[in-house]
Amino acid sequence: MPENNNEEVLLRVEHLCQYFGPTKAVDDVSFDIKKGEVFGLVGESGCGKTTTGRSIIKIYNITSGSIYFKGQRICAGTAGIRTELKNARKELASLTKEAAKATENKAELEAKVAEKKAEVEKLAADASAKIKAANFDHKHSDREYAKTLIEKTKTEYEPKLAKATGDELASLKKEYKAALTVAKKTKLITKIQMIFQDPIASLDPRMTVREIIAEGLIINGIKDQEYIDEKVYEMLELVGLVREHAGRYPHEFSGGQRQRIGIARAVIMQPDLLIADEPVSALDVSVQAQVINLLNELREKLGLTILFIAHDLSVVKYFSNRIGVMYYGKMVELADTDELFAHPVHPYTRSLLSAIPLPDPHAEKVRKRIVYNPIAAHDYSQQQPTLRELVPGHFVLCNDEEAARYNEEFGF
Amino acid sequence: MDNILEVKDLKVSFRTQTGTLKAVRDISFDLQRGKTLAIVGESGSGKSVTAKAIQGILAGNTIIEGGEIFFDGKDLLKISEEEFHHIRGDKIAMIFQDPLSSLNPIVKIGKQITEATLLKSKLNRREAKREFKTLLAELKTNMIEAQPENEARINSMVKTFDKFTIESNHLENAYNIASTNAQDLDSLVEDFLFLASKNQKLDVKAQLRDFINRLGHIKNHFLTSKLDDRIQTVRSELIAVRAAYRSKENNMEPVVATVNKLEDLLNEIVEQPKPDFMNIGYYKLYCQDADLTKPVDELNEVAKAYTDENFMNEFFSLAKSGVEHSYNKRLESKKALLPKLAEARSFFGAEFEKSAGNKYAKEVSDMVEESIDKLEYIKDSTAYTFRSAVLNGIDKLFYYVKRNPKEEARFARQSAKRDRLIARGKTVTWKVVPKVVYAPEDLRGNIVHVVDRLNEHYNEYINTPVDFDKRTSDLIDHFKEEASLVVYRVTKGMAKEKAIKLMKEVGIHEPRLRYNQYPFEFSGGMRQRIVIAIALAANPEILICDEPTTALDVTIQSQILELINELKAERNLSIIFITHDLGVVANMADDIAVMYAGKIVEYGTADDIFYDPRHPYTWALLSSMPDLDTKEKLDAIPGTPPNMIYPPEGDAFAARNKYAMKIDFEEQPPMFQVSDTHWAATWLLHPDAPKVETPKAITDRINRMNAKRMGGEQNA
Repeated sequence: MPENNNEEVLLRVEHLCQYFGPTKAVDDVSFDIKKGEVFGLVGESGCGKTTTGRSIIKIYNITSGSIYFKGQRICAGTAGIRTELKNARKELASLTKEAAKATENKAELEAKVAEKKAEVEKLAADASAKIKAANFDHKHSDREYAKTLIEKTKTEYEPKLAKATGDELASLKKEYKAALTVAKKTKLITKIQMIFQDPIASLDPRMTVREIIAEGLIINGIKDQEYIDEKVYEMLELVGLVREHAGRYPHEFSGGQRQRIGIARAVIMQPDLLIADEPVSALDVSVQAQVINLLNELREKLGLTILFIAHDLSVVKYFSNRIGVMYYGKMVELADTDELFAHPVHPYTRSLLSAIPLPDPHAEKVRKRIVYNPIAAHDYSQQQPTLRELVPGHFVLCNDEEAARYNEEFGF
Repeated sequence: MDNILEVKDLKVSFRTQTGTLKAVRDISFDLQRGKTLAIVGESGSGKSVTAKAIQGILAGNTIIEGGEIFFDGKDLLKISEEEFHHIRGDKIAMIFQDPLSSLNPIVKIGKQITEATLLKSKLNRREAKREFKTLLAELKTNMIEAQPENEARINSMVKTFDKFTIESNHLENAYNIASTNAQDLDSLVEDFLFLASKNQKLDVKAQLRDFINRLGHIKNHFLTSKLDDRIQTVRSELIAVRAAYRSKENNMEPVVATVNKLEDLLNEIVEQPKPDFMNIGYYKLYCQDADLTKPVDELNEVAKAYTDENFMNEFFSLAKSGVEHSYNKRLESKKALLPKLAEARSFFGAEFEKSAGNKYAKEVSDMVEESIDKLEYIKDSTAYTFRSAVLNGIDKLFYYVKRNPKEEARFARQSAKRDRLIARGKTVTWKVVPKVVYAPEDLRGNIVHVVDRLNEHYNEYINTPVDFDKRTSDLIDHFKEEASLVVYRVTKGMAKEKAIKLMKEVGIHEPRLRYNQYPFEFSGGMRQRIVIAIALAANPEILICDEPTTALDVTIQSQILELINELKAERNLSIIFITHDLGVVANMADDIAVMYAGKIVEYGTADDIFYDPRHPYTWALLSSMPDLDTKEKLDAIPGTPPNMIYPPEGDAFAARNKYAMKIDFEEQPPMFQVSDTHWAATWLLHPDAPKVETPKAITDRINRMNAKRMGGEQNA
């Protein structure tokens, strides 16, 4: 994997929560993805890694938290703000009750109540503003992005239009109009694209490969058929297929080739961020290598940033710059790949690493799997854990007592 | 070598619209008892087809072109569906690749797991009883023939043996049930104490009630007679504590104290030595003043001494003479059979009439069956299947002799019609169904092959020395085993407990709750675990795992593999493990067969394949898989596997192989032997071949692994 020294943050996830009824699929997860890096997300099935990916691309409406992409907030949930307000109101109510009952130092208590009341009112005003802002950002982030694009197109074309005359002016006008439609229809969210796990289920069997790959362009308002065809061929060649494949249907391809079609469909939108949700898990080992090599090439050629969701740790290690480990909706550890494999701190990470099968019969015979039992491993009766940075860049979910222990154990 | 399953020259193809697809092309392998054989290859290499052929569940368009699969004295390719019912799921179980399609969506999980256990229980008992009786009768006849002067004595001894084996197994069965109950309770109590020590929420009242109920089920004369009083006191204490407990106060101290007492008691029970029931059964039945209340160790000794003195020593020597007699008698007839086999070979090699062929085959088969030593409890597959193999071969030969001309005529007719239509300028949308024609020489060759193999087998057999002591003691052990099957009765409650235990073993949380759910309520990984639990519930002898962990994540995969390994050790299970991921087999496999395009291209022990791979395809597989130290670009295998309707002339892998030579495209490489346990089918091993180095990525990895091992040894 190539080094990534770019410090610019492309995607920032803050306190993301995604609840489905009582199930907390993702619970208070925060991380940054820097431009140009591959961020690996690992964990067992049902730990919320796919849900995180899907929340980022707005397939779900998130419960609370915010997601910033290229500095603009694209997702925002309001449940967190509401709960905060609700708790404050509850406190106020209990305080009032106490004040009404009290006989001694009544005045003091009443003063306290008044203070609290003012606080809550301020909080309520803040909250409503926050909720309004969140809802606006969540709904209209695409429109805002389109606005800036339209501005950009205008400033680009207007001086040209002023200069041009005659035939040139007419053709330029036509071009300008087309560019404006594209700008108007472009959505910020299309700069994030996704590759799915199952290459068979994720392609419409009734569409040809050309239609599948071009669909995104057409939805985005591009009408020039020649341009679309040209783009489709370019993408096919980019992912290692040939032009002739454009007219065929998905069932005529093998698993690896279908996954390539899925990649071409994502890459044609010129995304900045690619969410790869277990792109190789359903493939044969030999084909896996082909797809991973392809993703690596694309990353170099197009400067892609990739969120790589997988459960095969050898592949994740080979492919990612940084890795986040998730367990039951929580991010339990986050570090640079080498750092994580050299110093796995959280007991769950250690158990995960100890389970990797090695292609080495002798080593396998003596490999001991560490069993992780959250009840036995942690005592959170005194203090709840938070994600802490033990050394720069290495985050672990722990409380004070554990942090002290880890620091001592690993000599941080 | 103790082979439980032998696959010989298996050829399978599929009839499709566009032609005959050759899925498996002439593969042979043996599966040894208690070992794991891994079959590795890409999808489409024929590994699943092989597994399905062993299970007898190939699709309707399958043509089995040749070969045998021997198991327990039967050829699985030739037996009827009714016979297969006794084998499939019971003796050979399979874990399927796709958990979605292998569970019934409208039946609850619990029922699906217990279904087979309950159904097979009765059937197994009946079968075991029959087997036990026939084998004992055979032994008796042979014993009498060997020592006719002792006939009366032998008759009475065999009768005694029959009676007390069954009796001791009844005792053992009751003991086992009680002991399992005690172990179950012990693990529940441990869980309870653990959670209580961590201040977790517990339904104390319900748990205690469960403990009290279960405590009633561990009573057994040999297990708890000494401890009856203590069990009684602990039980009444538990009842008192339960009555006093108030969930609002959550006062755990007295509860934990009492449960600790219970745990101590259970530990004592579980750690008791196991009585030797075989001898105790005899002791109990025939010793007038038998005292069964002694401590277990002492009782074992007394019973053994008594049984040996009064019965076993004599019976053993008689049985040994019987076994020897039977062996010698059959050895003579085997020797006599050899010239007949040579004659049969020339007969089937030439042309013959069907009726004459059948008559001759029957005559030879009768002689072969006469020569089988029935007291060998590991059945001699080649001899047992001789009749069905030869008759089947003859049937096939004459079927195609009759059918071939018709097939050719049909093909010619259809092609002519198509040509005619095209010549007239019409658009023809239909295709001509390709002809399926067999050469009679090949089919005759199949029959001769069967005869040859028996001949070879008997020659080997005659020259192998026999240890009669071991043979006799093995036979007596076998009787014990059969007897335990005769008395083993499964009730619904037992089946449920077993299912819940299995569900727990495969890592399903809250199995009691899950027991009553439907498959759609489970995630993919969970469903796969259910499938594994179902396969294991029947206590199979052979387990075929078809990509069992491909859909699971690392921790679960590791758990499941460990589980399969444990079960293998516990139950002496033999496993065929099919996967495309070489990484997971390093821990599992004793032997590995690498398959490509329907052929085995490399075969060896796990060490051979991982530390000394020879075939370019194995190299490619190994180097396309990243491990934790891989940094360089992965060596992907270019292209796709060949279309097996038109299998390539030479080595099937040649087109994707960067080391391919000219001969690879022209002629198929034979299996070159690398070492005693290691074969590879590549021309690179031919003495005239140019020297090719193993790719650097692999040698690097092997060096790294060796260095790590050395370092580890030095540290140790």
